[in-house]
Amino acid sequence: MTPAPRFAVVGHPNKGKSSIVATLSQNDAVAIALEPGTTRDSERYPLSVDGHLLYELIDTPGFQRPRRVLAWLQAHSHSASDRPDTVRAFVNQHRDDPRFHDECELLTPILDGAGIIYVVDGSVPYHQEHEAEMEILRWTGQPSLALINRIGGDDHGEQWQTALGQYFRIVRDFNAVTAPFEAHLSLLRSFGQLAPQWETALEQAVEHLREQRRHRQKRAWALIADALSDMLGHAESARLGEDASRSALEVRLRQSWQDWQRKREQRLRREVEQLYQHHHLQRQEQHLEWEPGHDLFSERERRAWGVSRAYLATAGFGAGALGGAGVDALTAGHTLGAGALIGGVLGAAGSLYYSSKLDRLNLGPLSSGGREARFGPLRDPQFGYVVLGRALQHWYQITDRNHAGRDPLTLDNADSHWLDNLSRSQRHALQKALQQSTRHQDEKRRQALREAVAQAGEAFLQWRRK
Amino acid sequence: MPYSPLRLLLDFDDQYQRDQRQSPDFLHRRDRQLALQAQQRDGSTPLPEDWLRTLGADRVGGGHDPRLRTWRRARVLFVLGGAVLGVLTMLGLLYYDGSQRINVTLLLGFAALQLALAILTTMQAGIGWRPWGRLLDRAGATPAALRDLQPPLAARVAHSGGLAFAIAALLTLLVQVVVRDLAFGWSTTLQTSAPAYHELTHALALPWRQWLPPAVPSLELVEQSRFFRISDQTPADPARLGAWWAFLAMVWLVYVVLPRLVFLALSRAQLRWRAKRLLARHPGMAALRQRFEQPWVDTGAGNATPAPELDQGKAADGVLPESGTVIHWAGAGLADDGLFSALAGGERAPLRLAAGGSASLEHDRAVLEQAGQRREPVLILAQGWEPPTGELADFLDDARQQWGEDTVIALVPLAADPGGALSDDTLAQWRRFVDRRQHAHLRLCRAPEVPS
Repeated sequence: MTPAPRFAVVGHPNKGKSSIVATLSQNDAVAIALEPGTTRDSERYPLSVDGHLLYELIDTPGFQRPRRVLAWLQAHSHSASDRPDTVRAFVNQHRDDPRFHDECELLTPILDGAGIIYVVDGSVPYHQEHEAEMEILRWTGQPSLALINRIGGDDHGEQWQTALGQYFRIVRDFNAVTAPFEAHLSLLRSFGQLAPQWETALEQAVEHLREQRRHRQKRAWALIADALSDMLGHAESARLGEDASRSALEVRLRQSWQDWQRKREQRLRREVEQLYQHHHLQRQEQHLEWEPGHDLFSERERRAWGVSRAYLATAGFGAGALGGAGVDALTAGHTLGAGALIGGVLGAAGSLYYSSKLDRLNLGPLSSGGREARFGPLRDPQFGYVVLGRALQHWYQITDRNHAGRDPLTLDNADSHWLDNLSRSQRHALQKALQQSTRHQDEKRRQALREAVAQAGEAFLQWRRK
Repeated sequence: MPYSPLRLLLDFDDQYQRDQRQSPDFLHRRDRQLALQAQQRDGSTPLPEDWLRTLGADRVGGGHDPRLRTWRRARVLFVLGGAVLGVLTMLGLLYYDGSQRINVTLLLGFAALQLALAILTTMQAGIGWRPWGRLLDRAGATPAALRDLQPPLAARVAHSGGLAFAIAALLTLLVQVVVRDLAFGWSTTLQTSAPAYHELTHALALPWRQWLPPAVPSLELVEQSRFFRISDQTPADPARLGAWWAFLAMVWLVYVVLPRLVFLALSRAQLRWRAKRLLARHPGMAALRQRFEQPWVDTGAGNATPAPELDQGKAADGVLPESGTVIHWAGAGLADDGLFSALAGGERAPLRLAAGGSASLEHDRAVLEQAGQRREPVLILAQGWEPPTGELADFLDDARQQWGEDTVIALVPLAADPGGALSDDTLAQWRRFVDRRQHAHLRLCRAPEVPS
């Protein structure tokens, strides 16, 4: 059985080796920009599927004394044929020498059969000092590939291409922070080109990673739908004492209702981030906001993610008509479509009524002989759209974010509306699912909401990719 | 021990709730592993019950399920209450003080009411109407996710109570027949005739008239047992009035007891069917199947060693010494003559040297020797945007050895853009580098501003 391919990611210190590893291994805990010159060991990042190792990335420390190493190698080699042995001899000789700790760490996996991924920073000019590093790597005799990473803003890629082309058969451009997912897969495939026996394992890995991404996407949409269902159906309740102030209780319930909504939204954010293995992400996001003293969303949120009254009327009509059409079907069409028409009119009227009566979100109906007060669920149809829009925006940015990224995630509002990418029937289904979630919380309706959110997710993707 | 669908659903939901606290990665890894083991063992995907057993989450065993305690108590109460009520009701219906006959029509009407109630209960459970749902929700009778089970559970309780009622009433009837001399008759305000009433009783007796003729009232009995409120007619043969009991017992048995029995069995079947359907539609089931089928891809996410916290370095900005000896390390600032002019001072002619980078180690040694001969501070320019490496450290250590401890060395990291400044973070790695050298006369200096 062919052993799983291994790749040592090597290069000059701080040229983005760890960024490459972080992105390819989907691991945002990989220490990026470690201090050069301090003792550092190699780290291994295997990709295994059901416990079966497909490949392994090895993050190594950078070269510290390449000219000294090369000088030693040249002094101890007699012909080109003994070069790999000479490199091995160097490692054996200097394994305990702290000056060459980093070189030994990076050369050991290569001598053990790992392929070489040599990383340079394409945003700084090429300099001949790298030639000693490349020469040492050539001496190992292992298959190798050069990656031009870009840490800064400048572009010296062409210069690097020419220089690296003299030492490496394959030279690829790859920005570890901004490269899209398909570029990750393409890069992994190119690793497989280094040796024919590695190709199958890398192809399998690519397929599994692609499948994992599809699975995560579905899971993320289900998480969003479940959070949406919770938030739409949530109500705060409290006992109203004989002498208690109704208005004070209302203020208290409203506040706890809003706090609960914010916490639930934050929980969703964390769930989605963990799903995509972003465990150390810093997020800069405006929390769900309501206008002070009112039950309205802030104007900013409403403008970004809410919908117009015309949209509410048409989507509400469509959603109502969907229900009314069921009546027509039950009567085998004898109602001549009246069910759909009446349902549509009621749906549109309901959507508009609650939309324009946001300040009706006061103390809820009293029950148990007027002693229990309820606040919520919120009937404002805008609420679902705002929460959904914000959740999809966060999810999209997470899917688009590489694990090498260390800047805080900024969740800004967009300037156009993603709902434009939904078909009319999908809008109606979404409106119906959102409306029903405020009233019923059974599994059937949750499922309907999940399906509507999945369609919304697809539409959101198309909208963002425009 | 076989799993009942209801218990399976409850166990599954319990495990689902517990799993909500676990990370998705853990769940995927755990369940995929179980699926692979099952596949290796018998080539199939594990069933939910196997999955629960493997996790040790099955509660199947002796005794009652504590999650259904409320329902069990309700059932016991309904059965006891039903039995007591059945006895009392039948005693009331058969109340006979000798002055008036026991009206068969009333008994038939009561049996019809019982049948109607039983049918309504079954229909209510069938359509899932929960008029008492809120009450049950507050009592926490069933987990919220399983609210759909409430109608068949409630129907089962109601039918159990109904059955106890019906059986107790039937037994009371039989006991009363044995211990008392009951006189039955029939009476109604409606304009009806004995033959018409006989037709009704004949139709009611359809299920048993072929095999139990004594329990079918004859036309003669019907005619003889009619009575009117304002009348004191005594029948020709008072002994015949008791002959109705067999018919009434059979009516009660067939139209009250048996329907309750059938509906109770139906509600049990409905409960099983609905539990199976709920399990199949459970949100955790789709997720579980996905975890079974989806290969577990491990990208080594837990392998990283966290980066150590780095300080800003202690080395303070040093004063650039006046000197004419400048070494360009790895070509830093070599092309910037203006910078060199601004740096090079002192009395002697400036000495401009290059080391590091692509130069050989012999060349570096020669540079050290040449600079050391001047016996004056040395300025070493380096590419500030590049991290300081071991080679520069070696060069500085060699310099100290060759030039002596007292020779001042000014390390000047340059920005990539001529005249530009390094960021604090970039400068910090140079500070830490100087700290690590522990060289008393090694200074970190900023490049002077060069007039353009």
